[in-house]
Order: sequence, then structure tokens, then C-alpha cells
Amino acid sequence: MSDETTTTSSAEANDGVDDAVLTVEHVDSGYGDAQVLDDLSLALADGEVACLIGPNGAGKSTVLKTVFGMLQPWTGHVRFRGADIGGMAPEDIVREGIGYVPQTENVFGSLTIEENLRMGGVARDDDLTPVIDDLYDRFPILAEKRRANANTLSGGQRQVLAFARALVMEPDVLLIDEPSAGLAPNTADEVFEDVLAVNDLGTAILMVEQNAKKGLAISDRGYVLDQGTVRFEDDADALLDNPEVSRLYLGG
Amino acid sequence: MALLEYIANGLVFSSIIVLASVGLSLVYSIADFANFAHGDTMTVGAYAALVAFGVIGGLGAEILGLPLGFFVALAVGIVVAAVVAILTHKLVYEPLDIDSIGLLITSIGVAFVYRAVIQLGFGAQVTEFDIQVLRPIDALLPLGVRMTLHDVAILVSAVVLVTALHVLLQYTDLGRKMRATADNPDLARVSGIRTDRIKLWTWLIGAGLAGAGGGFLGLYSSVSPRMGFNILLVVFAAVILGGIGSIYGAMLGGFLIGMIDQLTPLLTDVGIPIGTEYSYAIAFVIMVAVLLVRPNGIASEVGS
Repeated sequence: MSDETTTTSSAEANDGVDDAVLTVEHVDSGYGDAQVLDDLSLALADGEVACLIGPNGAGKSTVLKTVFGMLQPWTGHVRFRGADIGGMAPEDIVREGIGYVPQTENVFGSLTIEENLRMGGVARDDDLTPVIDDLYDRFPILAEKRRANANTLSGGQRQVLAFARALVMEPDVLLIDEPSAGLAPNTADEVFEDVLAVNDLGTAILMVEQNAKKGLAISDRGYVLDQGTVRFEDDADALLDNPEVSRLYLGG
Repeated sequence: MALLEYIANGLVFSSIIVLASVGLSLVYSIADFANFAHGDTMTVGAYAALVAFGVIGGLGAEILGLPLGFFVALAVGIVVAAVVAILTHKLVYEPLDIDSIGLLITSIGVAFVYRAVIQLGFGAQVTEFDIQVLRPIDALLPLGVRMTLHDVAILVSAVVLVTALHVLLQYTDLGRKMRATADNPDLARVSGIRTDRIKLWTWLIGAGLAGAGGGFLGLYSSVSPRMGFNILLVVFAAVILGGIGSIYGAMLGGFLIGMIDQLTPLLTDVGIPIGTEYSYAIAFVIMVAVLLVRPNGIASEVGS
């Protein structure tokens, strides 16, 4: 899809990421016949927060959808703890220990908060009550509104519910697509704090974020995507300080 | 008081429409297409019940003026309708990689196939359940209501089935998964729900209810190869009026359309020369009027 040459800083077989829990290796993927990802590789270390940034159409959300089985990798591998999960269905991948929070429509609007959380745990065999009670302790707003339908929540509260639904499975890795999309700046900051709170529990997070500076600011690692492939990969702080990244992707 | 009689008739007719409309809406909400074979699924249920009743007979005991054998036959009709729908889903709809409009058109073809097979087996003539027609209930006659125990049986059965569906949807794991899948199928899969299985359950329940509706429609009027198809437009009107895809909307829509249909004689009673032959037309006019105010149906959520 692209005849541009990749920059030297592009990821090559994920060197530099020790103890990777999730790796994407030389993946092409897309919708129907339209290719979006082009030989994309990245890795997420156990317990870290990694952020994918880049312009619209760079393929950021496509990476998450391919990892989570909403799209099939055309070539290459997606590995979780070494096992190839490329091509598995979402309902199976969630049982492996990966969670996914879509960007939009990420709650069941016509179900109550409690029912949303119960749906988050359908793949668990044990009693959900203690897990859900834990989540209520962590996110009191959900406890308060447990009997209300999710479509009565504000944008920020919905995002919290979307996280909580995914956390019922206690995943090792959580994929989050643009957590701050459509939120007022203050609310977005609160949601980023929630992302960090989730990470504090030991969950590694791979996040797509339109607001590149804020996204990188709370991340350990960053990937700059452009035209379906990784152009820059580094510690998040280093990317923020990189003049080229700054000029091209962070708006100066 | 003719009005009371019309209302009583409306309750009975609504019962049949509600059973059909709830099933249609359920399938729409999860299989994501308007199933034009739903009416003929009712016919399948009616004929299966008819055959089963012929085989097993009355079985002695009576419930609400109906032989026990009729209820057993009705159960057979429900099962056969459900099995036929699941086979159709597995053999026809699922292998087709087409959008919801394509599935809709396919379902019209499926409807023709159901009807043709029934006609091949049973001929085009109108038949009836071999159950004696009852006299109206004496206690209701002073009120001007001519209602038989069979009518009561239809009403009670519909209330039981719809209540059971409500309990299933609200208080069971399967019901919550069905609602979640209807609400947002992608998120349902992301949450780990095996939506393929939920879809099968939905076909089973939706077509089963259609089979029950068909059996009762056969008891209420008669059994013929076109019975389900003839009522399908009314059922669609009910579903659209309530808000397509909404189960509770379909209950309300089915109730209203059935009522409006049976209240039509009221017009001639008050001197407006519009006969009962226009009852469906009036139901449709009211449906259009409601949609002008609430384009997504009565039960649609405003602004979401």
C-alpha cells in the first residue's frame, strides 16, 4: 500500500522489549480487500502501558481489532504469552486473558450497570459477585447506579463502565481504543487516571490515543503509526522529546 | 354494550398477534433481518399441531374447554416450527454471506418454500381442528360479550407464554445474553458471549412462539396454507408500531394493532360508513400516524 521507505527507527522484530506478553509480528491486515496494516510489528511488556499514536487512518484501531480477532491477520503472527492467537475469535481470545474496550458503543446501553458487568464475566465459571463488588469499591459511581441502565450514564461514566466490564475477566492485557474520544478535557484526564489505576493492578495496557501528548504522558512505551506501519518506537518520554516526532505527529 | 364485546374480541385477536410479533421482533433484534417467512412459520406450527391432534386425539381431560390433546398438539406445533426455523437458519441463512436486505429477500423465498411444501402435503383447502365449537360463556352474556372458553384459553395461554418470555429475558443468564447480543452484537462477542449459540436460541424461541401463534390462529379461525402469510402484514405493522427489534415494543404494538383491528365495527356503530373490511387498513393508517410522530416506534428510546 505504501512505497515510502520505513525509517530506521521502525520496529524490527520487537528488539528491546524484554518479557513481552503480547507481540504483533510482521502483520498485514485490513477490511475486506482494503489493506490497512503493512508489515506491522510491536510488542507489549508485562505490566506496562504502551500507547499507539499517529494520524487518522494510520491503522491504530486496526491494530487492536486485529489483535482481538475482530479482523484476521493476512500475514504474520499475533502472539500472547508465546501462543499464536492470530485468527482466533474474540469470544475465545477474551478467555485467554486479553480484554478489549472499543472506542464507541462500548457499553450495553439497554442493560443495567450490574448486567453490563455480569456480561463482562460470562466466560468465568466462578461466582461473579466478589469480582463485581471489588469493581464497585474501585469505581463507586458504578455502585451508586448499579440498577440504572447504562445509557443513562454520562460520557465519562460510560468509559468507566466500559473499563470495568472488561476488568471482570481480570485480564493480563487490556486493549483500549481512544479512551478520551468525545470527552471534555477534565473528564478525559479522569479517564486517563483510571487507565493508570487499572495498570496499577498489574494489567498491561495497549492503548490507542488521538491525544498523542496526553497518551504518551501516561505511558511507558510509545509507537508512532503512519500508513499502517510503525515509524517510531521508543520509551514514551523519549518520543515526546524526539524533535522529528514532535514536528510530524505532536503538532510542534 | 357492543364496546365490551369488541374489547373482548380485541384481547383474543391481540393475543395471537402478540405471540407472532414478539417472535418476529426477537429474531429481528438478533438475526438482524426482517423475516418474511415468520408468517409461514406460524402456518408450519398450525399444520404440525393439526396433524399431531389428529394422531393423538383429545386424551380425555379438558382444560378451558379444550381437550388436553390440543395442548399436547400445540406443543408439537411449537417444537416443529422451532426445528424448521433452526434448520432453515443453519442450511440457508447462515451459509449465505449477504447483508440484511439479502436475507430479507431470501426469507421471502423461504416463505414460498414452506407454503408450497404444506400445500403439496395438505392441499390448498381450508381445514379446522376437530374440536367442537363452544357456546359463549353464559356469565358474560348479560354484558353483551360473546366469548367462549376457547377464547379465554387463547388469552390465558398467550399471557403465560409472554410472561415466561419476560422472565427468561429479565432473570436468566440466557435472557441477559440475548438482550446483550441484541443491544450490541460486537460488544457481546468482545465480552465472551458465544453469539452463534444465542442466535440459535433466538430462532428457537421466536419460531416457537410463532408456532404457538399459528396453532391458536388455527383454533380461532381455520387452518390453511395462506393463514400465516395473510396475517404477516398485520404482525409487521405491530412490530413496527412498537419499534422493530424491541421485544416489549412488539408486545405493546401487537396488543394495539389487535385491538384497533377488532374495534373497527365501532365506526359503523357511530355512523361512520367504514366497514370491518377496512380493519387492517385502519390499523395501518394508525401505524403510519404514530410513526410520523415517533419514527422509530413507540418503544424507541428518544435521542439515543
